[in-house]
Amino acid sequence: MRFDTIIIGGGLAGLVCGIKLQKAGQKCAIVSAGQSAMHFSSGTFDLLGRLPDGTEVESPLEAMASLPAEHPYSVLGVEKVAEYAAQAKEFFAECGIKVNGDASRNSWRVTPTGERKAAWLTLGDFTPPASREEKIGNKALIINILGYLDFNTKFLADSFEKQGTECRIASIKLEEMERLRKNPSEMRSTNIARVMDRDGIWEKTADQIKTLIKGEDIVVLPAVFGLKDASVVEKLREAIGIKTMFVATMPPSVPGIRTQMTLKSEFEKAGGRFFLGDTVTESTADEKGQIRNISTVNFNDIRMEADNFVLATGSFFSKGLIATPDKIYEPVFGIDLTYNEGRENWFNTNFWKKQNYISFGARVDADLNASIDGNKISNLYAIGSVTGGTNALYEGCGGGVAIITALAAADRILEKK
Amino acid sequence: MKMQEKNISANNFEQCIKCTVCTVYCPVVPVNPLYPGPKQAGPDGERLRLKKGLFFDNTLKYCLNCKRCEVACPSGVRIGDIIQSARIKYSTDAPKLRDMILANTDFMGSVVTKVAPVANFALGLKPTKVVMDAVLKVDKHRTFPKYATKTFESWYKKNVMSFQESFKRHVSYFHGCYVNYNYPQLGKDLVSVMNALGYGVHLLENEKCCGTALIANCMIDKAKKNAEHNIASIRKSVYERQMPVIGASSSCNFTIRDEYPHLLGVDNSDVRDYIELGTRFIYRLIDEGKVKLVFKKDYKAKIAYHTPCHMEKLGWGIFSTELLRMIPGVDLTILDSNCCGIAGTYGFKKENYEVSQAIGKPLFEQIEKLRPDFVACDCETCKWQIEMSTSKEVKNPISILAEALDLVATSEANK
Amino acid sequence: MVSAARGNDFDVIIVGGGITGAGTARDCALRGLKVLLIERHDLATGATGRNHGLLHSGARYAVTDRESAEECIKENMILRKIARHCVEETEGLFLTLPEDDLDYQAKFVESCLAAGINAEIIDPKEALRMEPSANPDIIGAVKVPDGAVDPFRLTSANVIDAKLHGAKVLVYSEVTSLIKEGDTVKGVEVFNHITKQTAQYYAPITVNAGGIWGQHIAELAGVKINMFPAKGALLIFGHRVNNVVLNRCRKPANADILVPGDTICLIGTTSSRIPFEECDNMFVTPDEVDVLLKEGEKLAPSLASTRILRAYAGVRPLVATDDDPSGRNISRGIVLLDHETRDGVKGFISITGGKLMTYRLMAEWAADLVCKKLGVNQSCITMNTPLPGSEKENIDEISLKTWSKPGATHKATVGRHGARAVNIGLKDEYDASLVCECEEVSVGEVRYAIDELDVHNLVDLRRRTRVGMGTCQGELCACRAAGMLADAHKCTDRAKNDLKNFVNERWKGMYPICWGDTLRESEYSQWIYSGVCGLEGRECETNKAE
Repeated sequence: MRFDTIIIGGGLAGLVCGIKLQKAGQKCAIVSAGQSAMHFSSGTFDLLGRLPDGTEVESPLEAMASLPAEHPYSVLGVEKVAEYAAQAKEFFAECGIKVNGDASRNSWRVTPTGERKAAWLTLGDFTPPASREEKIGNKALIINILGYLDFNTKFLADSFEKQGTECRIASIKLEEMERLRKNPSEMRSTNIARVMDRDGIWEKTADQIKTLIKGEDIVVLPAVFGLKDASVVEKLREAIGIKTMFVATMPPSVPGIRTQMTLKSEFEKAGGRFFLGDTVTESTADEKGQIRNISTVNFNDIRMEADNFVLATGSFFSKGLIATPDKIYEPVFGIDLTYNEGRENWFNTNFWKKQNYISFGARVDADLNASIDGNKISNLYAIGSVTGGTNALYEGCGGGVAIITALAAADRILEKK
Repeated sequence: MKMQEKNISANNFEQCIKCTVCTVYCPVVPVNPLYPGPKQAGPDGERLRLKKGLFFDNTLKYCLNCKRCEVACPSGVRIGDIIQSARIKYSTDAPKLRDMILANTDFMGSVVTKVAPVANFALGLKPTKVVMDAVLKVDKHRTFPKYATKTFESWYKKNVMSFQESFKRHVSYFHGCYVNYNYPQLGKDLVSVMNALGYGVHLLENEKCCGTALIANCMIDKAKKNAEHNIASIRKSVYERQMPVIGASSSCNFTIRDEYPHLLGVDNSDVRDYIELGTRFIYRLIDEGKVKLVFKKDYKAKIAYHTPCHMEKLGWGIFSTELLRMIPGVDLTILDSNCCGIAGTYGFKKENYEVSQAIGKPLFEQIEKLRPDFVACDCETCKWQIEMSTSKEVKNPISILAEALDLVATSEANK
Repeated sequence: MVSAARGNDFDVIIVGGGITGAGTARDCALRGLKVLLIERHDLATGATGRNHGLLHSGARYAVTDRESAEECIKENMILRKIARHCVEETEGLFLTLPEDDLDYQAKFVESCLAAGINAEIIDPKEALRMEPSANPDIIGAVKVPDGAVDPFRLTSANVIDAKLHGAKVLVYSEVTSLIKEGDTVKGVEVFNHITKQTAQYYAPITVNAGGIWGQHIAELAGVKINMFPAKGALLIFGHRVNNVVLNRCRKPANADILVPGDTICLIGTTSSRIPFEECDNMFVTPDEVDVLLKEGEKLAPSLASTRILRAYAGVRPLVATDDDPSGRNISRGIVLLDHETRDGVKGFISITGGKLMTYRLMAEWAADLVCKKLGVNQSCITMNTPLPGSEKENIDEISLKTWSKPGATHKATVGRHGARAVNIGLKDEYDASLVCECEEVSVGEVRYAIDELDVHNLVDLRRRTRVGMGTCQGELCACRAAGMLADAHKCTDRAKNDLKNFVNERWKGMYPICWGDTLRESEYSQWIYSGVCGLEGRECETNKAE
């Protein structure tokens, strides 16, 4: 089966790259071994929250200049990154995903445990404060759904109160939810959202919330609304009538999954072929080292051929990188990686300190081409968190790296024509 | 150190990172609170069961075995297999008479076909349905698929067997119980399409039911016997006659390829790659430039393709849909991936009827909204469910090909 | 009976909340004494909670140490009766590999039989039927009555019974000095790490049951006990590979015991002397991990590809024999020191040496001496008295008696708490919802543990309930449980710090084996806690300094 470009990995990076290529007229396939890390998303994408030395970043675009040379942003060049950052917002809008945010200034999302973390693009559900210190309101009503364990109202109230917001915690009880709670483990965000998305239910929810409001100026809710589309979030907001703030929950992430589904259907609508639950087993290269085709578990003897290949397989979790007791390797093509030898150099013994292994990944050049045994493979691109050179978690740049390298790789491929 | 290069465990159960992704895609959990969900029933419960069998929970029977959890899992855990294996290993419930009737599709078929008109009449009667509902707990809303008056095999032997050897290339056909007893037309369509492509079609030696329904109803001994028999027949076909095996039912295909080794412990590794769906077989021939399709000029159809769960797991929906896309005059929409709810015999059981319909609801609504001429689908039980729950007819892609192809011109082109 | 006028007056003070201290507290309380049990951390934090959890048949010691072997088999049979819910009767096998000397087997069986251990040579094929995971290359096999014992449960049950019999238990309370009058120990001064208060408690007898840390308690009394900390590292695997204890039939050496324990199995141990300073901060080295895997694979080949959950290490409190002036000879058995006769210090005794297996006997000896000194004429009844929760029924019977339709969660709860599970509220769906999904720990069980079982933080909760002991090592459950602790303790800051400590404590067991799926798991944890939640621990404090 022949394609122009085959992308391996169907997460944020793979989908963004695939949509851009497909919309530009290419015929693309995405092979994805299971669902992606978007399922645990915070509902925001970060661009740069902190420099490697720990300095907090206010303006990502300005701060990028001081990033080390191996950082994917430095590899691409700060100007290019700014360009792609601007493109990203339009990109999501065209996909029907509402995002807010500005690459020149971080906002500060409220986390499930009440911390503040730097954010760049924020899904429409969320309304992040402009600073770490900004009060969310004078009086907040924090509401949970009775029986739901993955939304920690106490932690939120505590942190809001430290910033001078008076908090009250309440819960709502819905008949339809009690049915869900009969199951000891499955009262999860997504299952709640499925119920909430039904007509009649969110209205009932809004009514209950309204009766609970006693002089508060803001309502805080878990982000368990709008699994299929975001409209219910807006409708609920409107029905409640006062400022309503949604806070991300522990996994699974309703806004993240919605975004993943929307991007996937956008890709398929444009004519892309998405192969979920399939794994690449081997690849064939020609005498010049160019990748010619791949084989997957499901396609087996029917090879998938393409002019270009994009590796968007993610890091360890999604098996883009594999660690054995004495080495780390990339399993699809065996491309060159940057990592520390010796497993005692992979981690810090304190969980909360910077963990080196998170910065390991593919070595790419300015074209985002990967290399094998030091030889550049000009039709193989590595994007997203399979690339190395940054500790995305510590620096708060995972979302940005995924989106920006994806857009950049798509451009490189299109420029070739 | 060469140890610990890989973690190997039954059905990859300890690869589970507890990420909760599987729970998002389980069709049962949102509609049936009694089902513990794939994570609990699967890898989580497995650790407890390995400790002591008494931790087995009978509510695992609510699993549809749709494998959607496996398709979604980022860690490659065979969650559905873990659950089905646990049922096989620990369930102490003896199969009910009802389950035996539903599961023994070939036995029932062979008996009922002989008296088909009477049986079809009786199965459609209200009193029969009431009795079946009350006594056998087969839901009264269900329409039993009609039994054919003549099996596919007897039609084949009488009408087409004689000239199959005249083709240059050959395949064996695993037709399955549904084609044999209920819907021989699909088998006839497959024979005519393959013949047009220059392939002779042959029956396997004494094909037995693939066992999908037996496995679902925990009749493992019988399933295993059938599996061993079928694999032996397939082996003969592949190695003695150099004929690969094709089918038109995604569930039969899936069971023979994957459930045999995973759940029944029947080794099929030497023949597994030679068993596939007809659409995949044909697609490969086209991809390799070995055959040509000539379509009728005036064929027009608005088709909505439904990917059956086991097709989703096989990852082969693409081959059916790519073939349909090749037909000029076809307007194809791929429906959102959603279980139809029937899951073989599951939906026939009275206790599952409501859950079954609730699972399929979004799919039915999408079909009605789309208003296609008909629905395309590679699975016979999905066909029953969709036909019962919507106003649309469901056709197998092979039958659609048979309709759309100019069979005479095609066989000329492939001479 | 000695009168106890003031609230801070007791008949006996026991220092150390490991199994020895807990057992001694129970024994004394059952004999009618007014008991105070003091522990500087949580119950079972020292050597008690850091071993194999093997219900020794004694076979391991039969050849080299007859006395220990005899003690073990006797206690083994007693624990099967009195601690049913803490014990699993798995049986054990001693396997001879091609590289081992088969002649050792005869000597081994002879020694076992002499010690009263029912050791039976069986056909290696029979052994493989009993335990299919065992190395198929074995050339010999002996069946012995080994089993598994859960040390956390056992300690907790002893403490529960002590409390039911009037004992007072102080956790997170550190003995800072002994109150002495002349040559008599009159009581202890205690600093409570939670309330940050100091208090004095008095009793005519103070029992030092501090394990390796008992050397320090003795120093406070001005007496010297020579202890040698010996570190033993173990690996926990993610699920049960074996259901029968597997041992090597050879002279005791590294990594020759594989024990199934609750949902996991563990291989151990290594053995190395360590400086005293390291006792409070032990970590497992890559070399130790490699040795454990290499040797473990010989017992059960599948261990080479089974996911490892954690690596951890404990300290054996080895005691120098008093009769050896060089101080280098180790006493093998139980060491009961009457410091009045030994050192001229009255009102102070030490109970040390021994093993988890012989804790009850140690407690009996210590309580006997306490009673003798107090002039109390009560004999020990612990060998016949079931621990709370260990009444006669099995898991199924208790579950069916308690709930109309017991599911896996109910049974798991009964497995952990025995008959006391009836006290756990699992009435409605909210109580029954799961906090920890890997180990099936419900909201009701967590609440019960917080209310009834001296739980002050998440790590304590883990020891009582197995929250966070499963495959994911606390990914979702830690956050859920932290919320419940915040409720119970009405302090969010503390709960949040606690969450950080807990996650870090889990990580401590994971980093020595951080590759493959463990690395994937911890990357996921990092995403959730550092990423989505944005938690940061600038300096991670230990639980002690809570």
